[in-house]
Amino acid sequence: MSAIEVINLQREFQTTIGVFNRKKKIVPAVKGISFEIAGGELFGLLGPNGAGKTTSVKMLTTLLIPTGGTAKILGLDIVNDAEAVRPRIGFIFGGERGLYWRLNATDNLRYFASLYYLDPAVSKKRIPYLLEMVGLTDRADEKVEGYSRGMRQRLHIARALLHDPEVLFLDEPTMGLDPVGARELRQTVRNLQDEKKTILLTTHYMFEADALCQRVAVINKGEIVAMDTPSKLKDSVNDLSVVEIEVFGIPPETVEKIKTLSMVENVSVEDRDQLQLLLVHTSKGAEAIPLLISELNGLKLGKVTTREPTLEDAYVRLVGGE
Amino acid sequence: MIMEKLKLNIKIFFEGAYLSYVGLFRWLSPSTYLATLIFSPLTQMLFFVLIGTYAQGTDKAYFYVIGNALMNAAMSGIYGVTMSIGGDRWDGTLPYLFGAPANRMTVFLGRAFMHILNGMIGVLTGLLWGWLLFHIDYSAANPWALLLTILVTTFSTSGLGLLMGCIGLITRNVMFVNNTVYFVLLVFSGANLDLATLPSWMRIVSNYLPLTRGIASARLIIAGHSLTEVLPLLIEEFGIGLFFALLGYSLFRWFEITAKKRGTLEVF
Ligand SMILES: Nc1ncnc2c1ncn2[C@@H]1O[C@H](COP(=O)(O)OP(=O)(O)OP(=O)(O)O)[C@@H](O)[C@H]1O
Ligand SMILES: [Mg+2]
Repeated sequence: MSAIEVINLQREFQTTIGVFNRKKKIVPAVKGISFEIAGGELFGLLGPNGAGKTTSVKMLTTLLIPTGGTAKILGLDIVNDAEAVRPRIGFIFGGERGLYWRLNATDNLRYFASLYYLDPAVSKKRIPYLLEMVGLTDRADEKVEGYSRGMRQRLHIARALLHDPEVLFLDEPTMGLDPVGARELRQTVRNLQDEKKTILLTTHYMFEADALCQRVAVINKGEIVAMDTPSKLKDSVNDLSVVEIEVFGIPPETVEKIKTLSMVENVSVEDRDQLQLLLVHTSKGAEAIPLLISELNGLKLGKVTTREPTLEDAYVRLVGGE
Repeated sequence: MIMEKLKLNIKIFFEGAYLSYVGLFRWLSPSTYLATLIFSPLTQMLFFVLIGTYAQGTDKAYFYVIGNALMNAAMSGIYGVTMSIGGDRWDGTLPYLFGAPANRMTVFLGRAFMHILNGMIGVLTGLLWGWLLFHIDYSAANPWALLLTILVTTFSTSGLGLLMGCIGLITRNVMFVNNTVYFVLLVFSGANLDLATLPSWMRIVSNYLPLTRGIASARLIIAGHSLTEVLPLLIEEFGIGLFFALLGYSLFRWFEITAKKRGTLEVF
């Protein structure tokens, strides 16, 4: 039996637009997604803003009723058996809200432990253990109000683990963390996986999915557009190579022009201080360089390199970079 | 098994009670809290006792002292409970609360518990000020009957507070609504007005509010009446509190279910 089984899960939202002439509008956030996650697997849900990641996680954590489809967690239906699901899952939503700001870390955990019916004798040991694990022992007596974002995020991890759940949902756990904090958090996630927990993680970051997840589903506009191991997803772009050209002050028209070239699949521009980095996906590899340089005629150029595609490039291909 | 569950629910109840109190404490700091506890019952009482005795004569001081002392029950019942329930919205903890297996009734009632204690202390402090400043004589009162009256009244105003707290989950303007409710109680409960002199429609409103019977009962007890004489009043006062608390609880459940259907758990 898989730990998580999602069958054609859907969710629409009704919103009203306009102030005087109010109209109802249906927003389809998740348009029928299906996947299975095996026990002990670390599965990534990857997608751009508004793709439907949080909405999916909310449904799977019993906080939002689906408008269609079903899902089972450890064999239990997320709607009909919601009460049985809750004690067996833990979840965090990225961001710093969701803690009692006027209480200190220990008191926050104490309250949540009681909400999960933890035996007081157990929580007495578990709380200091978790505080130690997320590195908050020294600051455990301070009000959460005075915590940094990263500290709050780590307290959330401790909160989600209080009742030692078998299945974990982590919605953008590294959001807003500095690189060191994010790295530590990823290590924590790896450790959890070593404890054979089933984990569903959402993220915007390819390298994060690549580094952590055994399988990744790429979700875009409420639909799953690809699902595989990170290396297989990378294979899917093996026919591509990426040409990177450093260029000073590239006009938008030139970028548009390059996009129309037949051997070019995708173009993006990243700003780097004084210069821009032009990233061109092409099937031609290094052969494309002369043509590209002639298009950039008259502009001052820096380094020109070709490289293998990364998972990020696969992702850009899948969600069709804006 | 059932005993075990009960024990854990009692735990949730007291943890919630304790922590909503700690939350309050941390917010006010112990010294501010103590000052509020001691002096806030004084200000409102002083105002009404001085105006009232100016208009009606100093022998009516007991009327205003008792009425305003019991208004403290409404103060902590309504504002305190609203803050500890509505606070979940501000802290963004609702998804974590509603994603937990905890029994909702226990969570809900735990939030009110400490404010009942707080309210009782407030009422007693108010009475103490009346004795110190206006020399109100409590010697005829049966102390246990008086305590019971205070307990029941604080319970019933906290019941109303639970309902207001849930309204606080739904609207942004709960403080405005609270002020209105507090003002309505101030006028209609008979704290500062002789209900017999009110127009009949106002007396009907009074009849459906918590506090009215509690104040009446306290005045009777302090005037030397026995517990059996005020017992019917207290039972009704308790019933009204229970009614509002249950209404609040239903609203709490409704809020959770609707929010999960509509996706409005974190919408402001
Ligand atoms: N409560 C709601 N009411 C109306 N629309 C909503 C609601 N929640 C989400 N949506 C819409 O559903 C879509 C998916 O949102 P969701 O938050 O699931 O995206 P996401 O993948 O988590 O994005 P991000 O990476 O920005 O967190 C968006 O278009 C969003 O506006
Ligand atoms: Mg999201």
